[in-house]
Amino acid sequence: MDFSTLLHFLVKGLEMSAPIGFAALGAVFSEKSGVVNIALEGFMIVTSFVIVWGSIAFGSIWMGLLAAIAAGILMSLIHAVATITYRVNQIVSGVAINILAIGIARFLSQRIFAQETQSAMNPFRFPTLFGINSFAFAIIPIALLSWFILYRTVFGLRLRTVGENPEAADTLGINVYLMRYAGVIISGAMCGFSAATLYPTQWINGMTGGRGFIALAAMIFGRWHPIGAVLASLLFGYADTFRIMFETKIPFPSQFVQMLPYILAIVVLAGMAGKASPPAADGKPYEKGED
Amino acid sequence: MSGTVLLRMEEITKTFPGVRANDKVSFDLKSGEIHALVGENGAGKTTLMKILYGLQKPDSGTIYLKNQAVSIKNPKDAIHQGIGMVHQHFMLVPPFTVLENIILGEESHRAGVLNMNIPAAKITEIIRENGLQVELNTNVEDLPVGLQQRVEILKVLYRGAEILVFDEPTAVLTPKKAKELFDTFRRMKEQGKGIIFISHKLDEVLTIADRITVIRRGRVIKTLERTEASKPLIAELMVGKPVFLEVDKKSKAAGRVILKTYDLQATSERGHKVLNGINLQVHAGEIYGIAGVEGNGQTELIEAIGQRVKLDAGDIQLEGESILTWDVRRRRDEGIGHIPEDRHKCGLLLPFSLADNITLGRHHQPPFVKKFQIIDKKQIRAYSRETIESFDIRTPSELTPANALSGGNQQRVIIAREMRFEPKLLVAAQPTRGVDIGAMEFIYSQLIRARDQGKAVLLISADLDEILSLADRVGVIFKGRIIKEFRREDTSREEIGFYMTGEQESA
Amino acid sequence: MLKLKFNKYKFFEMLSPVIGFFAAMVVLLILVILVGETPRNAIVAIYKLTLSTPARMATVLSIAIPLFISGLAVSLAFRAGVFNIGVEGQYYVGGLVGALIGIYLPLPPIIHIPMVIIFAMIGGALWALIPALLKATKGIHEVISTIMFNNIALAFVNYLVNGPLSGITEKSQLEAQTGKILDTALFGKLNGFFRALGWPVPDYVYLDYSLIVAVIMGFFIWFLLFKTRYGFEIRAVGTSIDVSHYAGIRVKKTQIGAFLLSGALAGLIGLQEIFAIRGFYTYEIASGLGFDGIAIALIGRNSPLGVIFAALLFAFLKQAGYGLQLHTGVSNSIIYVITGSMILFIVVFNELIARYIRALRRKEIS
Repeated sequence: MDFSTLLHFLVKGLEMSAPIGFAALGAVFSEKSGVVNIALEGFMIVTSFVIVWGSIAFGSIWMGLLAAIAAGILMSLIHAVATITYRVNQIVSGVAINILAIGIARFLSQRIFAQETQSAMNPFRFPTLFGINSFAFAIIPIALLSWFILYRTVFGLRLRTVGENPEAADTLGINVYLMRYAGVIISGAMCGFSAATLYPTQWINGMTGGRGFIALAAMIFGRWHPIGAVLASLLFGYADTFRIMFETKIPFPSQFVQMLPYILAIVVLAGMAGKASPPAADGKPYEKGED
Repeated sequence: MSGTVLLRMEEITKTFPGVRANDKVSFDLKSGEIHALVGENGAGKTTLMKILYGLQKPDSGTIYLKNQAVSIKNPKDAIHQGIGMVHQHFMLVPPFTVLENIILGEESHRAGVLNMNIPAAKITEIIRENGLQVELNTNVEDLPVGLQQRVEILKVLYRGAEILVFDEPTAVLTPKKAKELFDTFRRMKEQGKGIIFISHKLDEVLTIADRITVIRRGRVIKTLERTEASKPLIAELMVGKPVFLEVDKKSKAAGRVILKTYDLQATSERGHKVLNGINLQVHAGEIYGIAGVEGNGQTELIEAIGQRVKLDAGDIQLEGESILTWDVRRRRDEGIGHIPEDRHKCGLLLPFSLADNITLGRHHQPPFVKKFQIIDKKQIRAYSRETIESFDIRTPSELTPANALSGGNQQRVIIAREMRFEPKLLVAAQPTRGVDIGAMEFIYSQLIRARDQGKAVLLISADLDEILSLADRVGVIFKGRIIKEFRREDTSREEIGFYMTGEQESA
Repeated sequence: MLKLKFNKYKFFEMLSPVIGFFAAMVVLLILVILVGETPRNAIVAIYKLTLSTPARMATVLSIAIPLFISGLAVSLAFRAGVFNIGVEGQYYVGGLVGALIGIYLPLPPIIHIPMVIIFAMIGGALWALIPALLKATKGIHEVISTIMFNNIALAFVNYLVNGPLSGITEKSQLEAQTGKILDTALFGKLNGFFRALGWPVPDYVYLDYSLIVAVIMGFFIWFLLFKTRYGFEIRAVGTSIDVSHYAGIRVKKTQIGAFLLSGALAGLIGLQEIFAIRGFYTYEIASGLGFDGIAIALIGRNSPLGVIFAALLFAFLKQAGYGLQLHTGVSNSIIYVITGSMILFIVVFNELIARYIRALRRKEIS
């Protein structure tokens, strides 16, 4: 492999990994606070549409990004209200939002761009760096920032408490509901960043391709730790890039590379039930003062 | 340094549906004092402390802190007013460090960023003052239980608690660790703090407490100075005057041995020895009552008999055959019936009909199933109707869901079910807990009937009167062993109470 | 007096799907107005494609068949307290295994179709096996493991259909697919039968043998749950593991059994599309049916009867979407919005009503 190919591989891999990485970070925040979130895919469908729409409507890619983040937060609020305030089963809420999101994106696309399965082209771009969307590089500082927030701030400590032992948090005066809302909202905002790195040039029906679920696998493989989740996302992204760039040279079928994230997650789960498992209160709705 | 009154709870009353948990309870605590609160489970101690800690609101009564009337809205409020609770079941976050657990909710920070140095210094000082040595940077899940408790204590001290409430703190400690805990108590006393110590281990109470308040059935029976107190006196106050329930019991010659345990040994998850060599026999046509203060191994003994639990050593035999390898279904099929302590958790499928609940446990056998395991509804309904009638269960129909019945009726259902399955051995654990007088009489008559029919009955109860009314033989359980056995007619209340408190060990 | 009381509770419980549906309809009409269409046109359009003729109604029924099987599969597992999200992957695998029997194993017709069905069930159950074992032996939550297995299934099936099992012979076949299913295994239509009964169902509507499968499975599961001891134990375990344990029920066995049976049922979801509509297996079979099943099971309150209604409701909504698209300016995608909203409304109302019932019960006791 010559140098330019290697460089191309390195940056392309980062670009492929970034959308998964951001979503995985979002998943970490949500699950660390105790809320299972399988609606990431749905969030990403909407945010990847809104970034295009927002850019065109407001005249800049950065406004588009802001709009996408706002859209992600709005979608996440649905999940938050349903599962935290109304204690609805977190999986069902996720399923409903995934269905809803497809409808929202396609409906809006039909109304705004007169085409249900794809939008117009977005003339605004992020600046290019080393031949890729420069926003992809943001995954690194944001991953580090996430780590810092979760493990070095009051907010992060309390958020993690709420996911591990909400009863204890309650007796210590921590507002369990508020912390969980925060966790879910952050996951929605992160999907805004995902949209910025996926393909902000155009929205096409189905473009998210299951990345919301790959992000869950990355979170599991990364043992619910922000850095681990991003590293796992990088692994998956680079594996996929490798597959695309060197398809003819790989001895085994490309679909096995596709399976890789999920198989690794299962291996991790099977190998270490007990240590580095999900937050103890993950997935259980919290009812204050149920004696 | 016993001095000013830190806390005064006056005429606290709290009622829950069907039960008066606290009935005009008055309690006070001075600085530099250890005041023990003693009583059986369900006596009302926990409710009183929940009120103090802001987890419950009293229906009436006032709380005074340093002679000022206060209202305590929630646990955080309680902490801010200087009341710290060390729970029996720890409120800790296992994957976090000791330091993190201590500061949680009261973090030191600079613009949101955690500052761990200031708290660490402060806590180190507190550790030194109180002798509560523990490594701040270890994860709580890696600590043994005794040290985890220290973290709970440090939590309340860090928040400046002056009144500390300890709820059964030695339940999880070895005797050595308990001694260390008492040293800590003494140090806190010297600093002028007040300690409320909830326990039913009378040895410890007499070792460490300055005053002792006995609660029973929601009422304060008496508050004693340590100098006035003795084990027998406390035991009598706890258990109270005998309640005369007319129990018609003819004497009966006991038959062959149905249940025999050989040297049962078991260790709890936390590493304590809970069963320390239990040897007992129950004969057909006999009620064997196990008397003892809760927490001496009764629960573990029942679990060992009813389910497949991990024993360190020993054997359990039903009519001479070892049951250790039998799973729950086999044990039931072979004739072990069980009236569980917690009927909601273990006894009844609440949303299911009475008919289903009455046949539960034998539902897999004819006549309740036909060929191919198809349910025979007719048989089930007929059988359950008979059962409801003969056991006088108050319900509009056999199809009523179990959760529509009152507690007493629900207990009747369980007893009726177990009796009708004609077990060889009936294990009854706290059978009249949470049940009204009328149902109590019914339950007693059923247990006697079982005995008269030749069944072996193993009765476990925290109510000494119950044991005295029903048992043919009594075994006193203490620290995981049956330390003494009596025939009912050969012993007295006082004698059994004496052994229950382990008095003879220190005599 | 008590008899009246718990009818009241049951009544309230059944209220939430109804309220949820109407709330979603309100949302639909609002969106329709926003789009510039009149509600009247929208309702007429929906009616035209769903209820206007026997053919239309039959189409709704046809669409409901796989949805019903999916809901049945999920609801069975849930009765035992097992959350089988893996139905999505299980039907891809089950369908493929069934297809293989249909393609490569020539058998007389009387045996061939039953074999196809059996092997589709085996395929689905096999795909549920590992998550079930992980749950039983290591306590790993089935939600996580089954979601992972869904995606593994999709990739694996994709590989098989593109590679070793590929049956592409002509250039005109665009999508990756297996070989053709033998005639002896194809699912015939029942339309003639219905016409004979007086229901004029044209031949282009797919009321095929999968309808029989659905009816049989629906009956079988209902019978299992409510008439057999195994079903009783499943429901007991789903109600309280502790009480079941104390009663001697083998909890783990029951849960694994329900899990595998759920997987087996899931394997049947794709039968209509593979054996009646297409005649071969392709990676492009309808996706999302597993997730639909989760919603359907919930709305149908995990009972076979409720699942029938919920499946018909979902099928109705899908067709309604096409109706809107065909006859008004409203695009089909609105139905995704309505479906998603309806699910959310229903589950939120479930919770609100449950809280209300709890408050009522508490008042009764005191």
